Amino acid sequence: MNNPRSTRRRLTATVLAIMCVVGLFVGRLVDIQVVSAEELNKESLGKRSINLIEYAARGEIVDTNGKILADSVDRFDIIASPKLVKETFKRKGADGVTVKIPFMQGVNELAEVTGEDPVELVKLLTTDPTSDYVLLAKAQTLDVLDEVKALKIPFVFNQVRPSRTYPSGAVAGNLVGFMGTDGAQEGVEYAYDSCLKNVNGTSTYERSSDGVRLPGSTVTTKEKKDGGTIKLSIDSDFQFYVQQVMAARAQELGADWATAVVVRVSDGHIMAMSDYPSVDPNNVDAANGKALGSGAFNTPYEPGSTMKPLTAAMLLDAGRITQTTEVNVPGALYTEGGGRIKDSFSHGDLHYTTAGIITNSSNIGISILSERMTPQERREYFLKFGLSQKTAVEFPGESTGLIPRLNANGQWGDAITTYALSFGQAMQTTSAQVASAYQTLGNNGVRLPLTLVEGCQQADGTVTDLPATEGIRVVSDKAATQTVQMMENVVTQGWLSSTLQIPGYRVAAKTGTAQVAENGRYGDDYTISVAGLIPAEAPEYAVVVTFGKPDTMKTSGAAAPTFKKIMTQVIKTFRVTPSTKPAPNIPQSW
Amino acid sequence: MSTNLAYATPVRSPREEQHPRQIEIVSTRAQRRARPRVVYAVATVGGLFALFIAQLLLSIVISDGAYEISSLRVEQRNLTRTEQNLGEKLDLLASQQNLATQAEALGMVMNTSTPMFLRLSDGAIFGAANGAGTSGTLLGPDGTLVANSLLGAIPLAGDTEGAESAEGTAALSDGATSTSTSAATTTRTTTPPAKTATPGALPSPVTR
Repeated sequence: MNNPRSTRRRLTATVLAIMCVVGLFVGRLVDIQVVSAEELNKESLGKRSINLIEYAARGEIVDTNGKILADSVDRFDIIASPKLVKETFKRKGADGVTVKIPFMQGVNELAEVTGEDPVELVKLLTTDPTSDYVLLAKAQTLDVLDEVKALKIPFVFNQVRPSRTYPSGAVAGNLVGFMGTDGAQEGVEYAYDSCLKNVNGTSTYERSSDGVRLPGSTVTTKEKKDGGTIKLSIDSDFQFYVQQVMAARAQELGADWATAVVVRVSDGHIMAMSDYPSVDPNNVDAANGKALGSGAFNTPYEPGSTMKPLTAAMLLDAGRITQTTEVNVPGALYTEGGGRIKDSFSHGDLHYTTAGIITNSSNIGISILSERMTPQERREYFLKFGLSQKTAVEFPGESTGLIPRLNANGQWGDAITTYALSFGQAMQTTSAQVASAYQTLGNNGVRLPLTLVEGCQQADGTVTDLPATEGIRVVSDKAATQTVQMMENVVTQGWLSSTLQIPGYRVAAKTGTAQVAENGRYGDDYTISVAGLIPAEAPEYAVVVTFGKPDTMKTSGAAAPTFKKIMTQVIKTFRVTPSTKPAPNIPQSW
Repeated sequence: MSTNLAYATPVRSPREEQHPRQIEIVSTRAQRRARPRVVYAVATVGGLFALFIAQLLLSIVISDGAYEISSLRVEQRNLTRTEQNLGEKLDLLASQQNLATQAEALGMVMNTSTPMFLRLSDGAIFGAANGAGTSGTLLGPDGTLVANSLLGAIPLAGDTEGAESAEGTAALSDGATSTSTSAATTTRTTTPPAKTATPGALPSPVTR
């Protein structure tokens, strides 16, 4: 054989074979890419690529001990596809036997499990037989979903609905707020929505015809972001106690509203802020309209005699009086223009010291003392105490209250107003402001920013929204301490001493029975309150208890037992140590 | 001139005649070096086949894994949901309203007076409460006034001991308008029977 020729022949044959195979492939390629490209594209689109929403959770709201007050949970909508509804459907039982179930039986079983009306369900399923989606039951729990799934009805499906739940119900409900269909409506849910807000992620993946994800095909188009956790300064167990006793007493007294605020003196953190009536965020519809926000922040009222210690403190600070300044207190004080200031009890001329005026809550006495300071100075002090402005909490709907403005001559223009402001009438405050003022007195005259939210902790651990901590010097250390001592005498020597005293502990308190103005005139209604500090020698907690428009008992004596209960609970919850030295006895009269 | 001389023709040896010499063409060393070796071809083609087979096996394993991942995802989702559901129920049972109601159904009372002490060895209680308003229940006969619509009708702990359940379910639902008494004056200084302590154990009285 001639080698070169046979070699060439073999070579040619191989090359021809290869080119045939290549040609085949090219032909097929052209066919797929060019000829049938359109229809193949259409067929594939939507069949394999799935859009997936990755739900992120809205941030939780927790109390100071980490107990969850607002939680994000999954609920499930039970949906159906009317297109797939037939006369009967097949169900495979646990024993493997397939049974034919008629449509109505399936509907009845479904109605029983979800608690819906079977007639409604039938209507929804049969109204539009071409529809692919109809909502049967909204926001069901996992237990209901499991039961629905166990029914194995082929035209029933489910989808996730992220929801909000409040395990403690109305405890701190007015502070936590609630969600509505458009998102957060009230309270911390609303005010700190930017911290709590979650961002759902989206991703796409490709799916095989039997529903399995093709490996490596997941593409995350948007990362999901969980909301941050808001930590409140509230102690929720303590808050529950306060809310319970306040609600019980408010109902006994027939009060229209009631608030209680407990503030930690050392840092201005709110330990409890109770409102009556309160709202259960799980069931907002059941609350009456006014209860939706936080009355302690948004309802201003004339506070009455609980403001007397503030007047005393400012006078002491300016050096205009001492604890034992002697005052001749007449039975009534007449002003120019025919006005008259009275005390809560009628009396002749009394010789009270400043301490005696505070203990006996003499309107006339404090009015006389207030003459030693110009309205300008007094108003400045009120503003430094935090009145007539919002607190540092800036709660949604918070009221600023009001200390009337001075006119061009630096006066309040009206003699009655000028005197009345010294004993807490003719002014408007909120319970939060009163608590803040007492925190100031307890903290040696330094007012710290009122704090409700301790911070927002994001999923990655960073903490934002930290509260302000800088204090304002309102009155001197000595002025504040002396004022607290005089308030202690209210408890040891005043008319409510038997109700207010707690054996083993020194408590400072001041009562208030303020007249409520209606249509510009003072009527028969009162706002009764007691505000105080414990322990009096070095205050740690300020407590303010207020009842608005009680019907059965209209003096502050009605608020005193509740005040004592809350004080006792403060001692137990926060481990206030018993006092070792007895209270000072300041001369009440001369 | 022709001769008739005989001349000898060359004589082959018989060995040679029977075995004609075979001629072999032997390649030179250079030619031998230049020839391609079969081993390389076999190795290359074999390697290619090995790669193809490996890829096939890998893709089988990946697809198999995809099915496993899919079923594990479903399992994870179901377990997460169950965990969340149970956590929710736990939070609800731990709610203040439920705890207070259950505690009072069991007969627990608050102590609002001077501290009281329990002697472990024989269960004697010291520090008798003094005066009115010193101990009592927090919740009145209408139950908690701090609503929690999630609680519904959770059975009271005291029910298992035969307490009235009708009162119980009413107690846990939203408090109706009521006048609840704030404190009862009950002081208890009971001494439960002593229990023989096991050696080395902390002395403890008989409890419920």
